[in-house]
Amino acid sequence: MPAQALITGQPEARRTLVVVFLRGAADGLALVPPVADDHYYRARPRLGISAREAIRLDDRFGLHPQLRPLEPAWRDGDLAIVHACGIEDDTRSHFEAQDLMEHGGLVAGGWLGRFLRTRPAAGSGALTCVALGKALPECLLGAPAVTVMENFDAFAIGGEVPAFRSQLERLYAMERGQLGTAARDTFDALVRIEAMRTTVYRPEHDARYGRDDFATGLSQIARLIKAGVGLEAASIDLPGWDSHFAQQGQVETLAARLAAGLEAFRRDLGARMATTTVVVMTEFGRTVEENTSFGTDHGRGAAMLVLGGGVRGGRLHGAWRGLSPDVLERRGVLDGYGDLPVLNNYRNVLAPVLARHGADDPALQSVFPGFALTPLPLFG
Amino acid sequence: MRLTRRRFLVAGAGAISAAACDGAPRSELELDVRRWLGKPTAPPLPPSLTAPAGTTLDPVSHALNRFTFGPRPGDYARVAALGVSAFLEQQLAPQRLDDRLCERVIRHECESLADPESSLWPRRGEAGDPLQQLFPALKDRGGRVGELYEYKEKVLLDELTRATVLRAVLSERQLFEVMVQFWTDHFNIDPSKAECKWLKVADDRDVIRAHALGNFRDLLRASAVSPAMLWYLDGRVNRRMRAGDKPNENYARELLELHTLGVHGGYTQQDVIEVARCLTGWTVRDRKRTFKGRVEFNPRQHDDGPKRVLGNLIPAGLGAADLDRVLAILVAHPGTARHLAWKLCRRFIADEPPEAAVRATAAAFTAAQGDIPATLRALFATPEFSAPAVRGRKFKRPFHFVVSALRATNAETDAQRPLTEFLVRLGHAPFRYATPDGYPEEATHWQSTLLWRWNFAAALAANRIRGTRIEPDDLVRRAGGETTLGALVLGRQPTPDEAAAGGASGAGLALLLASPAFQYS
Repeated sequence: MPAQALITGQPEARRTLVVVFLRGAADGLALVPPVADDHYYRARPRLGISAREAIRLDDRFGLHPQLRPLEPAWRDGDLAIVHACGIEDDTRSHFEAQDLMEHGGLVAGGWLGRFLRTRPAAGSGALTCVALGKALPECLLGAPAVTVMENFDAFAIGGEVPAFRSQLERLYAMERGQLGTAARDTFDALVRIEAMRTTVYRPEHDARYGRDDFATGLSQIARLIKAGVGLEAASIDLPGWDSHFAQQGQVETLAARLAAGLEAFRRDLGARMATTTVVVMTEFGRTVEENTSFGTDHGRGAAMLVLGGGVRGGRLHGAWRGLSPDVLERRGVLDGYGDLPVLNNYRNVLAPVLARHGADDPALQSVFPGFALTPLPLFG
Repeated sequence: MRLTRRRFLVAGAGAISAAACDGAPRSELELDVRRWLGKPTAPPLPPSLTAPAGTTLDPVSHALNRFTFGPRPGDYARVAALGVSAFLEQQLAPQRLDDRLCERVIRHECESLADPESSLWPRRGEAGDPLQQLFPALKDRGGRVGELYEYKEKVLLDELTRATVLRAVLSERQLFEVMVQFWTDHFNIDPSKAECKWLKVADDRDVIRAHALGNFRDLLRASAVSPAMLWYLDGRVNRRMRAGDKPNENYARELLELHTLGVHGGYTQQDVIEVARCLTGWTVRDRKRTFKGRVEFNPRQHDDGPKRVLGNLIPAGLGAADLDRVLAILVAHPGTARHLAWKLCRRFIADEPPEAAVRATAAAFTAAQGDIPATLRALFATPEFSAPAVRGRKFKRPFHFVVSALRATNAETDAQRPLTEFLVRLGHAPFRYATPDGYPEEATHWQSTLLWRWNFAAALAANRIRGTRIEPDDLVRRAGGETTLGALVLGRQPTPDEAAAGGASGAGLALLLASPAFQYS
């Protein structure tokens, strides 16, 4: 492998996968309401998103009005949605469900970490994988190298002593073999990172990122992609979706943040979206029926979004059987209403995405061991 | 001004520090006070430090590089006076080494690991304990393992990780800690899988640490019935309920491929199936049951027919005893000796281990029937181990690099997140490797981690890692100058280029730790 590719990959061939996790169980029935289903409005007389408010997607579904910034992506065919998604286990514990989903079942390590281990260049650079935030997410456990960062200051080298770097370069210049090569590539990557750290970012194509953490994080991911440092995967969370009580305002705020962030990211990257995929996921959905405190409780099926180049977008993929009582999954003996069942295993959404990012069948099997994949045809 | 309790303690600690005269061992009381204040400790330094005089690594520096996670400032003079072989013998008998400082820190910092029955802790009266006679379940490991479930799993992983770093940094039993890491990789378990979250702590204690410098046979046996291993490689669901049930081969395959014979060790797929059949019925109680974490053999789930493993007939009807038959066959197999010898030589000599050393080590393993100290003694006695060409040419894995830097600078550390975060960034945090083959050993996997090595070196030298502290001026003073300190860190006199670069950088210590030479052991 050429030296440059070892540390930075070949930027032109590199694709970047961005995983957005909506922590707290986002209400798929509010984000992507089944506006043609009477059962929906019967179960949610006060919280149901009316067909009039919703942005029409097709004959069956609408989009939450606060997700309007995503409408162009849908119309352009860059955004695909899979409803009734989730894990096979019926746990309704946030922690347990997130772990299962991020590990890919009862297996060691995370699905994204295992995927990166199958990538030839993933362990080779300081910047092949970045987790925005304070801690390493479970999905990245076992990745060859991850940079957990809240901002670019993490990349400062040598602190306040400028000669440290030049003298280091002098010593490593005398190194032959692989270590010398790795050192030269690292110094090269540093130059690019420093350029990012020390300049004010100007997004392209009139993209405007908000000031919230989610938008800021996405703008940093966009910068890394543009800098060609060989970013293969990035993860970022949008927390706060656990809407047990008076959920309307909560969901509106978060949906607006989600859509605005993704819209700015897509606009900013422009043509680079052709080699970028964003997956939006959550640990489980919420109850079909609203509760007495204007909220919803822990349910089962939720919605996943896939945004990016090559997506067969502008349509919903996967199975959907509506919300009639015979379709719903029983919650308990006394509960009248059931939950939206998981008709589409989350792995069957992630698998075609990983295939797009270079995973062949044996690699997919190692990413999701012990599961018979039937990947959805999300890319065409 | 009101004197708060905390201020009072700080003032008291200051007084005690001032009272401890230069170079004298700190009193236990002072250490206790410092621990109360959340301050980490490091062993005291001798008043003056003697550095290696040679321009290449001599046998003492080489021994320190390979038997330990890197020399502390006083180690070179101490081992030079003692002699390399006497030092090795000390290290091969870790229970005889005084390790109070490290044990106190672990006991103080990591409550979940403080197991009164572990072999490195004083034992509570075992035989004749009336409570244990009444409740035999308490006596077996199940009872001790069950207690772990009382902790939040994040607490356990956090304490286990910190303890691993603290022991590597502080313990006098350095070769033991090096071997703990070797076996932790060899029998790798990722705690993120299901109940391994709790059970890896028991595996670390009862399998790896109990036998790291014991006999491989006992180590393998302990691992085979380790509840964490039964979870991690699905042994717990390897069962035969009725005719036609297929055994779960996961553990059997890794037992042959990774733990004993090695991938080219001369077994077939049929051997994997037969070993899996032998191990049917071994399971572990999950956390929804009483005596959670307890390992059991369930005869009704065992395939009791005859089996043939690597040419050896195992007759029908042996039940649980199949396990020991299988392990005896594997331990005695020449493939196992060769595989382990090759891995040990790769770890201690070179990424491409010399064939003669592998052969000598394998022969010693076989002759000593799996005794690990005897095997290591033979390895370290090979001319290949001492050859000048291999000295200082083994690329440190990131954990080794970080710990050796902490030791070389006599750093005090609490091993909390600000420190361990560097290990995450370097891709080498303890207990974070998903697949059963363990973290890779060879340099090629790790050479791209330079950026974070440099950042770590700069942060450590400038005291920018919260919870970790060094005293560079004190080090220079005791060493009698920057050059001597450089020789202590590198294990030899710095080259003219290294010395010049160190001076010109304005950050001599950081540059030494970040330099190419310090990346090797």
